Amino acid sequence: MADELELLRRADPVPVDGPHYGDGPLDHRAERRLEELLHGRPADRRTRLRRLRARLPNGGPVRAHRARLAWGLAATAVVTAVTLTLVVSGPGTPPAVAAPRPLVVQADSTPVPLDALADRAQRQATAEGAPPLRKGTHVQSWSLGMSDSEPPITLPTERVVRWKADGSHTELVVATDPRHPGRPVLDDGGGDPHLVEDGHVLTRQTYPPSWSDAPPESPPPHDVAGLRAYLQEAASYHTKLTTPELLDAVAELLDHWTLGARESATVARLLADTQGLRQAGQVTDRLGRRGQAYVYDAPGTRRMLIMDPSTGAVLGLETTFTKAEPEYGVEAGDVMDYNAWMR
Amino acid sequence: MSNDEIFAAAYREHYWAVSRYVARRLDGRTSEVEEVVAEVFTVAWRRRADLPGSPLPWLYGVARNCLANAVRGYGRRRRLVDRLGNDETAHGRQIVASPDAETPGSWVHDALARLSETDQEVLRLTAWEELGVDEVAVALGCGSRAASMRLHRARRRLRAEIDRMRPTPPSADAIPAKEHGHG
Repeated sequence: MADELELLRRADPVPVDGPHYGDGPLDHRAERRLEELLHGRPADRRTRLRRLRARLPNGGPVRAHRARLAWGLAATAVVTAVTLTLVVSGPGTPPAVAAPRPLVVQADSTPVPLDALADRAQRQATAEGAPPLRKGTHVQSWSLGMSDSEPPITLPTERVVRWKADGSHTELVVATDPRHPGRPVLDDGGGDPHLVEDGHVLTRQTYPPSWSDAPPESPPPHDVAGLRAYLQEAASYHTKLTTPELLDAVAELLDHWTLGARESATVARLLADTQGLRQAGQVTDRLGRRGQAYVYDAPGTRRMLIMDPSTGAVLGLETTFTKAEPEYGVEAGDVMDYNAWMR
Repeated sequence: MSNDEIFAAAYREHYWAVSRYVARRLDGRTSEVEEVVAEVFTVAWRRRADLPGSPLPWLYGVARNCLANAVRGYGRRRRLVDRLGNDETAHGRQIVASPDAETPGSWVHDALARLSETDQEVLRLTAWEELGVDEVAVALGCGSRAASMRLHRARRRLRAEIDRMRPTPPSADAIPAKEHGHG
C-alpha cells in the first residue's frame, strides 16, 4: 500500500487540476477586490455580503455576517427607469421601515402553465423590436439582516451596474424603498442599523476593464442544455443543479445581465423543464408589475418566481419562511429575500 | 517595488492557492470560500509590511486564523442554515450518491478526521498544499524542528488509523497534479 502521505495526496478534495480554483488569471470578482484594497476603498459590506450568497440547502439564499435573509413587500409605484435621485425627507417623515409581507396570489386568477409561458416567450423572442441582451443589471432588493442581539431588520437597496464598450463598468448602490418614495430607509453600513435619506448612495464605483469569459461574466447561451451548464458553472456547483440551486443560479445570472427576449425564452424553457415548480396564479410584484407566480416549496421556506406573463422574463424571486424560527426572531410568513429585476 | 506592488503581485500569484486551501477546509461549503478568501487578503493587506519573500506559507497562516474566526462568526447563521438543512435531509432529498464514495478520499478523510486538529493541519499542509517542513513551520507559526516533529508524529498516527481501518487497497489512478506556486 502507498504511504500515508501519498494516500492523503490522492484524497485531496480540491486538487489544483480540479474543476474549481485552478491556477490562472483572477476572475472579475477577485480583480475587483484587489482594486478595492489597492485604492483604499474596502468593499461596502452590503456588496460583499451580496457576493457571498451562502445558500440554505434547498431553501434559499442566506447572506453572511449580519446574515442577510431577505423579505418583500407590496410596492405602489411602477419603476421603469433608473430612479436614483436623492430625495431629502422633511422632518417628521415616517421612515420606510415597515415589515414587508409576502406577495399575495390573486385568488380568482387563472394560473398559466410554465410550458405555455415558455412557448409564449419563444414566440416573443423572434418578434420585431424584441429587447436585446445587455451586460449589467438593475435590481431592487429587500433583505433581512440578522444579528445576535437585535431583531431582524429590512434593508432595501437599488443596484445599477452599467458596462462600457472598453470593458470597464460602474456600479451604483443606493438605499431606497420604492414603496415609500422620499422616506428615510434603514442601512446597516458601519455595523449598526440607522436611517439614511432615500436615495443615499451606499457605493459608487468604477471598475477597470475586465475580460473574464467565465460564467456569469460571459454571455448566456441560447440553448437549454448550454444554459444549464452555464448556470451550473456560474453557481460553482460540481453536480447537476437542484431546483432551488437553479433558482439561485438564475438570480446570479440576472445580477450580471439584463436579458434580451431570446435569453428570457431560454430561461423560461429551462424552468418549464424543471421539476417542482408549481404554477400559483397572478401576482402584482413589489414594483407594481403583474406577473405569473411559480412556487417551489422546501422545508421551512418557499421560493416564488415571478415571471412576465407575455414575455416570460423573470421579474422577481421571493423567499419566504413558512415556519417560525423564534430563536432568530423570524416568523412564518416573513420574507427572507426579494429581488426585483428591471431593464 | 513598494509594499503595495509586492502585495498585488502576491495576490495575483497566490489567490487560487489560498482559495484551494480554504475550500479544502470548508468541507464543501463552497459558497463561503470566496468570503473567507476575501477576509484573508484583507488581513494580509493590513499586514502587508510583514509579507515575507515567499508569501504563500505566510498567507496560509493568515487563512488558518481567518477560518477559525469564520467558524466562530458564522455561528448564528450556521445554526439556522443547519437546522433547515437538517430538515431537508430528513426528507431524504439531499441524499445523493456521491461519485467520491468509491474513491480513496472518503475513508482517508475518515482516518484523518480521527486525529487531533494539529495533526490534521500539519498533514494537510504537507500532502495537499505540498509545503516543505520549513514552510509548514511558517504556516503554523512554530519552529522548523517543532514542525518536523509534529509531522513525524502525525504521519505515524495517520498510518495507525489507516491500518486500523484496513480498507480495500485503492486503485492508483486519479493522482492529482502536483500543487505548485508556493515559494
